[in-house]
Amino acid sequence: MKISVIALFILIAASNPGRAETVTVITKQNAIRTSCKFFSPVKATVRYNDTLEVISKEGDWFQVAFKGVKGCIHKSAVQKKSLSLSKLTGSQGKSASGDEVALAGKGFNPQVESAYKNKNPELNFNAVNRVENYGVSDSELVQFIQKGKLNLP
Amino acid sequence: MSKLISVHLLSIFTLFIGCSGVDIGSVGRVVQKTFEASRPLSDEEEYYVGRSVAARILSSYSLSENKKLTDYVNSVGKAVALNSDKPITYGGYHFAVLNSKEINAFACPGGTIFVTKGMINAVESEDELAAVLAHEVAHVNNRDGVSAIQKARLTEVATLIGTEAAQRYTPAQLSQLVTVFEGSIDDVFKTLVVNGYGKSQEYNADEDAISYLTRAGYDPYALKDFLDRLASDGKASGGGIMKTHPATADRIERVQKNLPKKRADASLVQLRDKRFEKALK
Repeated sequence: MKISVIALFILIAASNPGRAETVTVITKQNAIRTSCKFFSPVKATVRYNDTLEVISKEGDWFQVAFKGVKGCIHKSAVQKKSLSLSKLTGSQGKSASGDEVALAGKGFNPQVESAYKNKNPELNFNAVNRVENYGVSDSELVQFIQKGKLNLP
Repeated sequence: MSKLISVHLLSIFTLFIGCSGVDIGSVGRVVQKTFEASRPLSDEEEYYVGRSVAARILSSYSLSENKKLTDYVNSVGKAVALNSDKPITYGGYHFAVLNSKEINAFACPGGTIFVTKGMINAVESEDELAAVLAHEVAHVNNRDGVSAIQKARLTEVATLIGTEAAQRYTPAQLSQLVTVFEGSIDDVFKTLVVNGYGKSQEYNADEDAISYLTRAGYDPYALKDFLDRLASDGKASGGGIMKTHPATADRIERVQKNLPKKRADASLVQLRDKRFEKALK
């Protein structure tokens, strides 16, 4: 019996190789940066649902590897892919972190928006697209923060 | 006893395998269904809800064509958002100015934030503008917009999308989803524009705004200054933001309790005021 219990534990461990070591991108697009800071030079661009290998964690940042490129990505741009037992049993009181990953692209998606838009032609989606193009570049924002004697995040 | 232990271990083992995506039939599907029944909206779905809410707002309000002002508001907003608890969202933070005299601001789910010209005229410094935007960023961080969606709608979405891997819907599925989507947009829009968030959501947004402002290097007292002036100018009981927010006096009292002991360096606030005045010209 003892041997079979040990074997079972080994099997459990083997069934989860590197489970905690991957994260999935949950933003439309994001950057892997040279160091773990906003405004650090961009080494690679990642897109929604890309899987990144976690090397280590540094504060609010993950050091990751993606297609041979190593660098940093902020924790709010990714989600852990694996489901932990505590979340499965609900002991943390929140939904499973892998939920979003498992259901990527489902639910309210571009197909639903498109049908909604056709049904409600009076809604101003063109203006929304314009607003989504508003923004300032990294270098402009750094300059703005520094000139205003604000804190660089 | 040992048999009982083996059964428990086997159950745990089954759960682990189920999570790793290996198809073990009905057990895996039951686990997946359990998640879906209580699933919150994903960041991606929140983004699509936010886009449609924004489209509704922009059907009633026009966008300011003042590029200098829009760029400036985006710089202030992003400086704050980067210091929030959720500096990155699915579609990013975008700030826009609405042509309206009413004193108002709206945070659409996902990160699109509108501020009216009336609001920009009501704030008297960059730090006050940052305080207003920080409050809105806090609503995005706290997902207050999508929390207005009736739970029954989310359960319906979970049932409709099922466990299939396909991401394209049949015409019948799509029609049902659009109905639920439409209802969800109504829920969020009514909360944002007509009824306002709950008092606790507003108080939390004020409290979070103070944290973001402090981290960003703005004067957190700017939030209180702005609220004080609204109250003393007699605008605290008017339309716009005052219609949808708790009593200004209550907000001031709570904000006061959460402020740090010292104000930010006044000379730095004045330094930022120069570019504020320039942007508004």
